[in-house]
Amino acid sequence: MSRDDDSCDHDSCGCGDNDNTADESFHPMGADHESEMREMLDETEYDTELGMDMAEDAMRLIQGEISEAEFHEKYNEAVVEEFEVDDRPTVEAFEEMQAKQEDDEHDGIFERLTGDESLVDQLSGIDTEMNQSRRDTMKKMGAGAAALGLGGVASAQSSSDPKDDGYGAEPVGDTADEGPQLGMVIDLNRCDGCLECVTGCIEENQTSTGANWMYVLTYEDEQSEQENFLVRPCQHCTNAPCEKVCPVRARHTRDKDGIVLTNYEVCIGCRYCQVACPYGVNYFQWGEPEVPREELMGSDVDYDHESLKEMDYEERNQLLTENNDHIHDERGQWNDSRPPQGVMGKCTYCPSRQDGHNGEEKVGTVACMDACDAAGMSAIHFGDVNDPESRPRQYLRQRAEQEFERDTELDNGEQWGETVTPWGKLSAFKLLEDLGTQPNVTYLGNEPGPEAEQIDGPVTYEQIGVEDNRKHHLDQFTFGAGDD
Amino acid sequence: MQSTSAGYYIAFGIASLLSVVWLGLWAIQLDRGLAVTNLADWGSAGGVTWGLYIGAFIWWVGIAHGGIILSAAVRLFGMKRYLPVARLAELLTIGALSMAGFYIVIHAGRPDRLVTSVVQAYPVTVHQSPLVWDVTVITMYMVMTLTYLGLTVRYDLARLRDDLPNILEPVYKAATIGYSEAEDEVIERIVWWLALGVIVMAPLLLHGGVIPWLFALLPSMPGWQGAIQGPQFLTIALTSAIAGVIILALTVRRAYDWYHILTDDVIRGLTLWLGLFSLLFLWLQLQQVITGVYAAPLDQRTLAAAKVTNPYYQFAIGVVLIALAYIFAQSVKPHIFSVRRSLAASVMVLAGTLTEKVLFVVEGLEYPTFSMYYNTPGHYFPSPVELASLAGTIGLCALFFLVILKVIPVIELHAIEELRGEGHAPVEGDD
Repeated sequence: MSRDDDSCDHDSCGCGDNDNTADESFHPMGADHESEMREMLDETEYDTELGMDMAEDAMRLIQGEISEAEFHEKYNEAVVEEFEVDDRPTVEAFEEMQAKQEDDEHDGIFERLTGDESLVDQLSGIDTEMNQSRRDTMKKMGAGAAALGLGGVASAQSSSDPKDDGYGAEPVGDTADEGPQLGMVIDLNRCDGCLECVTGCIEENQTSTGANWMYVLTYEDEQSEQENFLVRPCQHCTNAPCEKVCPVRARHTRDKDGIVLTNYEVCIGCRYCQVACPYGVNYFQWGEPEVPREELMGSDVDYDHESLKEMDYEERNQLLTENNDHIHDERGQWNDSRPPQGVMGKCTYCPSRQDGHNGEEKVGTVACMDACDAAGMSAIHFGDVNDPESRPRQYLRQRAEQEFERDTELDNGEQWGETVTPWGKLSAFKLLEDLGTQPNVTYLGNEPGPEAEQIDGPVTYEQIGVEDNRKHHLDQFTFGAGDD
Repeated sequence: MQSTSAGYYIAFGIASLLSVVWLGLWAIQLDRGLAVTNLADWGSAGGVTWGLYIGAFIWWVGIAHGGIILSAAVRLFGMKRYLPVARLAELLTIGALSMAGFYIVIHAGRPDRLVTSVVQAYPVTVHQSPLVWDVTVITMYMVMTLTYLGLTVRYDLARLRDDLPNILEPVYKAATIGYSEAEDEVIERIVWWLALGVIVMAPLLLHGGVIPWLFALLPSMPGWQGAIQGPQFLTIALTSAIAGVIILALTVRRAYDWYHILTDDVIRGLTLWLGLFSLLFLWLQLQQVITGVYAAPLDQRTLAAAKVTNPYYQFAIGVVLIALAYIFAQSVKPHIFSVRRSLAASVMVLAGTLTEKVLFVVEGLEYPTFSMYYNTPGHYFPSPVELASLAGTIGLCALFFLVILKVIPVIELHAIEELRGEGHAPVEGDD
């Protein structure tokens, strides 16, 4: 689709006497940025020229060279043609309003109340006299930013490096790092505290009572009245403190996809990882596991760990896939499902699923996400956070756009400024990020404040038959204090 | 040395009983796992993952490090007055360090893998894991202390050979291999350098460095993180070690009638040192409490409030305060001094430092920065098995002393010579 140049023939447009040359960009960030935006727009289904012209005039609007109404008027036709709708008020609309107001001139309520010019006069003044009160400028800046923001959304959809779109940083993914990094985007606004993810994880990994690798906290906070949730899997930190302190390198980050695992065959059970982790995601196997090894997924064949490691890659993974194994990863290392006695366990991001041992359809999924999706909540989005096309990244964009559109409709623009970007509209955070752990779980929703305290949720752990306070359960095994 | 009293047999019996009972309980723990303790996961699970085992580990390792520092100071600064207790302090280091090492084994979930796992990863983990640094310095100090003892004991063994039990002849032969009187001067200088090494490294690597770093380097546990842990650990180590040496010296003095060697004057001097380090201990506690209760960040404030209201903490500080009050009083009015009172003060100080160390570990985990969990702070009180480990390790350490008393002279000949004001004298000091 293209747009006729004659749509630019409005008197006050000023296009003619303000033509941009190649080396002089209308955009405050320079010609390079302008051409970059142009390229981004080219990749969308919408008209590049229209977008660029609107952006240019939006800048002029901010400068006060044209009025808001003129701006709307100028692009009304083209916008309707391109997007099939344009709800923005045009000069005609203003004139209509003014005419109506003039009819009731002598009833001008604002004039009488304030003894000042009527509100409508002020509004019409925008059109005619470029009257720049501070409030008016703010409004225009809002509209201008909205126009610019259109480019922002478009670029987020298409750019391979959204961090560099000039519209704020996307709150997930580390494009500086090469290679995949599995992580999650968890939308706390979608969570309803049903705890399906908790049971999904327990069933998949057969963890012992109270070892809730996936855990959901319902909490109350001083600052908000509403019920809040915090879904807490392992954060699979890029700079994981648990890994740093491990004296035997049992806790490690897998090169393949950046997930943090525990080698159950090496761990000495010193529990320093649990001490160093700021999130409390580790659960030690204090006694004999409740589910024997023979009942774990894929334990039909009792592998000899050493021979499994010695096999070549193809052979090993074929064997593990045939057995629907949920105990080993592709390296033949025992690090999935519940740990044996005396060894540390925690959320694994299901490495045997990622390595295809449980079927191709389960690659890129985790048990908690499956359970969440099955419950119809879809709050958990797991995938490669370094890949712009992954589920978490796509979801994040979708939410950013939604938030942005909603705000653009609702907001009168008074608070808008440079920070208005789709990403800026997202209420995203990472847990305890200031500790420098570089967690790979990004949350959407309210961040718990310092006074946040867990309370009983809409569904309690008791109701789903899951032990919340593991200490209570463990106390029965204490020697000399139970049924010994 | 070769005559054995009924008291010795009784002491030996009690120590053995404690040790055997504990070893039996440990066997149960090995079988059923650490579930037999009262430990649990911190966070959602409402427990603490480190408890008495780690607290007792720090306590023992503190006594050990303090012992070697004491002995090194005596040699380095020529504090001849305390020469009679120097070897006792070294032996205390070996006994206590062994117990600390034993606690690492007791604490681990998979003690069977300790050696294989640690060794295979050592070249990498030594660059980053404070726990590996810890194991490294403990090993290093074990080696240094044994070298120290092995070198100094040659002089004595060579001269006292006739008074020593014949049954251990091969041991003495090995220990004094190649000995000649010409080496004495060289040995003395080597030992001096070793002592210098110990004194210099104490604040850098020992209880003023690596051990507190296990905790001080973790930003998410406000009870642990911070620069004060180094000085705090070192003072507690010295406080505990001096208390330990006083108890040992008085026990040995009574058993062997060595009132003329381990004089009241020596005990009085040690008591004063105990007072100085107790004062430092309390002063550093005050620093921590005051920075926690006044306009501190939220997590630190919660911890400090919990700490000062904890009856066990009040007990730990209280007993050290009482001991300090006695030490101050006896220094002002010398007639208040008595060895019994000094002994009581030492026992109280040891109980206080042990309680403080266990609390330090437990409370650090009970009050993490991320504390919104329902079950945080968790609850912890040592289980019977854990408490028995204390009695067991004290029993084992006593057993070690009872054996070593029969094997080597625990008071250096040099000390006896010094007391007599003469050169290489005939031996009577050691019976």
